Amino acid sequence: MGRYIVHRLLVMIPTLIAISIVVFTIINLPPGNYFTSYIAELQASGQKADLVRIHFLEQQYGFDRPLWQQYLYWVGGLLHGDMGYSFLFNEPVNQVIGDRLLLTFIVSFTTIIFTYLVAFPIGVYSATHQYSWSDHSLTLLGFLGLATPNFLLALVLLYLANVYFGISIGGLMDPHYLDQPWSWGKAASVLAHLWIPVIVIGLGGTAAMIRRLRANLLDELQKQYVVTARAKGLPPLKLLFKYPLRMALNPFISDIGSLLPQVISGAVIVSVVMSLPTTGPMLLAALRSQDMYLAGSFLMFLAFMTVVGVLLSDLALAALDPRIRLQAGRRQ
Amino acid sequence: MSSKSLLLLENSEKRRNGSRLSPGRHRGKCAHFRLFPEFLPSRVAYSAGFAARRRLGQALRLRPRAIPGVALLLFLALFGAAQARLVETPYFAAATASGRLPAIGERVPQQPAVARSGTPGVPGGTLHMLMASPHDTRMMVVYGYARLVAYTPWLELVPDILASVDVADGRVFTLHLRKGMKWSDGHPFTAEDFRYWFKDVAQNPKLSPAGLPIELLPRGEVPRFEVLDETTVRYSWTQPNPLFLPSLAGPDPLYIYAPAHYLKQFHKKYADKTHLATLIKQYRVRNWAALHNKMDGSYRNNNPDLPSLEPWILKTPLPAPLIVFERNPYYYRIDEAGHQLPYIDRVELTLADSRIIPAKTGAGESDLQARYLNFDNYTFLKRGEERNRYHVRLWRTGPGSEWALYPNLNTEDPVWRGLMRDLRFRRALSLAVDRHEINQVIYFGLGIEGQNTLLPQSPLYRPEYRSAWAQYDLDDANRLLDLIGLKRGSGGIRQLPDGRPAEIIVEDNGETSEQSDVLELIRDSWRQLGIRLFAKPSQLTLFRHRVFSGAAVMSLDKGIENGLATAEMPPWELAPTTQQQLEWPKWGQYFETKGKAGEPPDLPSAIRLKNLYQQWLAATGHDQHIAIWREMLKIWADEVYSIGTVAGIPQPIVVSDRLRNVPEKGIYNWDPGAYFGIYKPDRFWFASPVPSAARAASAAAHR
Amino acid sequence: MSEIEIQGGAAPERTEPAEAERLTHYVSPRPFDPYVGERLAPAQERFYSASQWRMMWWKLRRHRLAVLSGAVLLVMYVSILFCEFLAPYGVDTRNVDFIYAPPQAVHILYRGRLVPPYVEGYDYHLDMDRLERIYTPDPAKRQTIRFFCHGDGYRFWGLFRGDLHLFCPARGGQLFLLGTDRLGRDMLSRIIYGARISLTIGLLGVASSFTLAILIGGIAGYYGGWTDILIQRVIEVIQSFPHLPLWMALSAILPVDWSPLLVYFGITLILGMIEWTHLARAVRSKLLALREEDFCTAAMLMGARPARIIGRHLLPSFMSHLIASATLMIPGMILGETALSFLGLGLRPPMTSWGVLLNEAQNINVVALYPWLMLPVVPVVVTILAFNFLGDGLRDAADPYH
Repeated sequence: MGRYIVHRLLVMIPTLIAISIVVFTIINLPPGNYFTSYIAELQASGQKADLVRIHFLEQQYGFDRPLWQQYLYWVGGLLHGDMGYSFLFNEPVNQVIGDRLLLTFIVSFTTIIFTYLVAFPIGVYSATHQYSWSDHSLTLLGFLGLATPNFLLALVLLYLANVYFGISIGGLMDPHYLDQPWSWGKAASVLAHLWIPVIVIGLGGTAAMIRRLRANLLDELQKQYVVTARAKGLPPLKLLFKYPLRMALNPFISDIGSLLPQVISGAVIVSVVMSLPTTGPMLLAALRSQDMYLAGSFLMFLAFMTVVGVLLSDLALAALDPRIRLQAGRRQ
Repeated sequence: MSSKSLLLLENSEKRRNGSRLSPGRHRGKCAHFRLFPEFLPSRVAYSAGFAARRRLGQALRLRPRAIPGVALLLFLALFGAAQARLVETPYFAAATASGRLPAIGERVPQQPAVARSGTPGVPGGTLHMLMASPHDTRMMVVYGYARLVAYTPWLELVPDILASVDVADGRVFTLHLRKGMKWSDGHPFTAEDFRYWFKDVAQNPKLSPAGLPIELLPRGEVPRFEVLDETTVRYSWTQPNPLFLPSLAGPDPLYIYAPAHYLKQFHKKYADKTHLATLIKQYRVRNWAALHNKMDGSYRNNNPDLPSLEPWILKTPLPAPLIVFERNPYYYRIDEAGHQLPYIDRVELTLADSRIIPAKTGAGESDLQARYLNFDNYTFLKRGEERNRYHVRLWRTGPGSEWALYPNLNTEDPVWRGLMRDLRFRRALSLAVDRHEINQVIYFGLGIEGQNTLLPQSPLYRPEYRSAWAQYDLDDANRLLDLIGLKRGSGGIRQLPDGRPAEIIVEDNGETSEQSDVLELIRDSWRQLGIRLFAKPSQLTLFRHRVFSGAAVMSLDKGIENGLATAEMPPWELAPTTQQQLEWPKWGQYFETKGKAGEPPDLPSAIRLKNLYQQWLAATGHDQHIAIWREMLKIWADEVYSIGTVAGIPQPIVVSDRLRNVPEKGIYNWDPGAYFGIYKPDRFWFASPVPSAARAASAAAHR
Repeated sequence: MSEIEIQGGAAPERTEPAEAERLTHYVSPRPFDPYVGERLAPAQERFYSASQWRMMWWKLRRHRLAVLSGAVLLVMYVSILFCEFLAPYGVDTRNVDFIYAPPQAVHILYRGRLVPPYVEGYDYHLDMDRLERIYTPDPAKRQTIRFFCHGDGYRFWGLFRGDLHLFCPARGGQLFLLGTDRLGRDMLSRIIYGARISLTIGLLGVASSFTLAILIGGIAGYYGGWTDILIQRVIEVIQSFPHLPLWMALSAILPVDWSPLLVYFGITLILGMIEWTHLARAVRSKLLALREEDFCTAAMLMGARPARIIGRHLLPSFMSHLIASATLMIPGMILGETALSFLGLGLRPPMTSWGVLLNEAQNINVVALYPWLMLPVVPVVVTILAFNFLGDGLRDAADPYH
């Protein structure tokens, strides 16, 4: 196991290098750079472009140099923990991201907990009561969340919450709390705003989770060993939790890898509609305005979290399913 | 009110003589203009000077000394009265009492500007507005509209930060500053700030690699700059520079001054070397010039430490989701009762996605909102009026056309280029646009139909400019196309000379669905010409790139920016002067880069327009300017370089019921106008000083 | 779990029985029919010799909801062939006198009598104070709906001219069963035409990503070792991106001068290219577990080629999981298309898809004033539900041996 971990850690290095190249390419794929799109935006609205400052920035960040040099400059900075400078926000990238991470974590974790709380009981129940009316109606409920385009749901909920509960539209708190330190009032305001994004983002994921949990569990429940155990007189609940449920969770564990970056990036579109102060809208704004360092470094950060997440999920998978562990010793 | 009657006299005289945009002219159509006589003393001064100039053809004087005796006395009396009764601002009461801030008498200039528009108000309150981009802090510079010279709601240019301006022959400009005027940090605002900018910023090759801004270089000539005394500077050229004053009054003005006392610490010439080196390291910039540039930026308005002259100054380090502006304790304007302006203590900008700003506004989350609201939000906003205690007003917008089609005369495709350059083709396309339908379907008939040219509010307006080739007449249009020799092929679609079907791809920047709606409406009527239109929404940068490079055959975008122009404003939009002009980007680029890039114009009419523009730049007299404008407008109307649709589209303005002095009717325009700027938001005030409990709590928490 | 381990690991260690305990050889003299225990009645015969697909069908039939969903989907997919005929108006027909008209109700009772279905015409007045168009149904204006009638002309499949419609408004009347939009276009017609793009985009997208996932996931899971590690890394690289930048980058490389049709294919490809990784990972992890099973080892020992083992032995064993994932992917694609439109990256007006329609409804004006413009959400929800239930049924049916 120890060798396995070391091996995986070493493999991470080329992976990250490859990712950084892909990120850099993707960001530079659309024509132009931040400055051309900034100038276009200014000129289109009739404003004079501050060409001198733009010239300084272009020089400072080496936009006049060949791409591979720009790439090395950026990666060099990343290695020192310097994620570059956001032109859009006029601030170092570390700070822009840092400011938003806390609220993003709050939203994401609440959403994940919400998803699990809803999906688990429903998934297990409908797998064990296959084709019953309760199964059908619960799955239907779960699917409705998945089937509704969530940006539309978000807007409708925002509007209704404002009309009926007087909750301010968008954001995660009432505007006047924005520049204040944390207090009970602020926390209450956050809670009052949080439920809409949690429901909207959560519902989409819930359905998918119910579906897969149910499908996997059904697969397991039909296996021989379950029949054997049942025949031996194991109590149904104990049986369910001891073997099939654990097996049914395998695919979910392999998903932890993608869960981690999701937690950080949040649901972009819903966050944009709801104007949440999370990293999602920031990423979209950065990509739209081709704010290279902000977009690139943030994506790298996400990539790093994914790689770590995948590592964790592989380890967990190995720990949970001895057959995979066995593979390490049986390589032909 | 005798000054007012004097003003009326002036106006009636002007009306007889011709042409200037003035209140009298608009009494019928836009009575609102009468409501806000702004800046009376200076107006009189300017008008008087104007009359004098016309008589003598010599000097334009924008100063109180030129006022006829009676008015001067009245002015001094008013001024003296105001000065005697300066009232301390409640917001600063504690600070002045404890000595942290000098008393009001020492904060306002010895000759403050006295504002008189609307009703006198009460200081206090916080103005909430919604913005979408972290760059929107600059909107506070636009709305604040403290300029050396500024436009009034009548679009007259009057001194604002300046006490007065003397202009001789249109080429020697003497600027008189207000004595005792101070930056927002209390440091005096003097001639040194002008000298510093001109000598140490604008002419420093490190700080301004491109040299002086184009507005200071008529035909490339560098002005002679003199400091006459502590509060007087002079710029002189050997030939007229009509761009100089208008550029100072723009929404994103040409700053010819800078807070020298603050910026010198970043300037290599003045700063202590070791200190500068630490600063460069601290801010992680490459050199001192980049540092200076980062800290400077009056228009960007993103450095809370940068001293300012605006009514509200930035308090929040950026970026932040809530951006707070606080009143400038050293602001130069007072009201007639001796209160220092602005009335409103604080301005809070909340950042939200532009798409939910209409919803938030409708929920009463903004006290004054126009940005990010569209005409089609009006009905929705109207519904929330009572519940959320605001009113929606409709102001007019200023562009020459809300949307205009631009045939790209520089398109790469030789066949299309030939057709686009064919006058008959452009006219035929224009005749086949059903402007009335567009107006009814999208704008409830509230727009002004016609070509992409000046609006009726402009003194230069003539109905024939707007109606030229703008009536819906398919027969004439078809006849013109037949004349060109475009034969109808299969399915009634005409064929290009090389046999391809006449299918025009019209590109737009894809930012609103209104664009595709307009194109959809035009598509059907063009179909009857035998021309097929395909709409191609794109993305801003890409869109512009394709038009500039000639890849796009035709594009849809806003009409000319300034539909309200007076003869004193440069007619650059009518001539190939910049790449931004989508009808001839390459010709414009040629002019802009002085021939280094682009192509020289090769249509006689376009060349004529370019020459006329250059003549306008060299012209001195008002009459010459008018004559040139008229000829250019005439050519522009005949040639149909751009196909206008509907103009003067109402802009919804949401105003809190407690907010006073926001005009019922107005013009919402970028330049001239600065959006709310010309209506002087420093005079806006809140009727009841204590807003809702929550806001009061938040205000308390801030103090 | 432990029993599996024993099965897998213990088999090769079994030894021959001991020589000492040899028994005398006995053979029964009675005739012996080795198949006596398995003789089948003809009905049983049919059942046991049925192909896997036939058995799947039998099993699927038992899942009523899935069959119903399948029927709904079939109707929908067939109907996209006949949009022009089914829609009462053309996709771009504007009724500028009926902008933002609310849906009309169909009546079949007139003064208590049963009459052919009709709608009530609208009285219209313009509230210039609120800039609102107000429509009130006028019971006096009875407009009987016509069936199999001549209406807006069209080119069927872009080939044949026609003007026959299933139903159309009364002559001189209107028929806006789902209201109209900001240019007075009939929403029902637009939804019907929008189905053409939205329904096919999901299928094509899933087909491409399904192929990719099985191919790449299969290779990784089967071979393991370096191949697996390499593929795993590639999947990680792709997965570590939020979809957003990938969408943006891929949309940016779609050439601007592509025709709408090509853009449409480009977008299906983009959707497919991004979605495959999750499925591929699932395939791999299932394969990793499955290839340890005896039947796989057996096939390997019998010299089957990898392609056969993957395709013939391994894939069918977890087809159920794949199908469950794939059914979840088609709706994902349909939603992905709406999301792309939302970001301004996907299809744009003047093209009409459900995504485009929903994106136009993504507006506070619509939510507060013209809620019927959100109706395209109904077919989206129905389609997605139907795909899910069908997938559910297929999942169960795919393992007919249980």
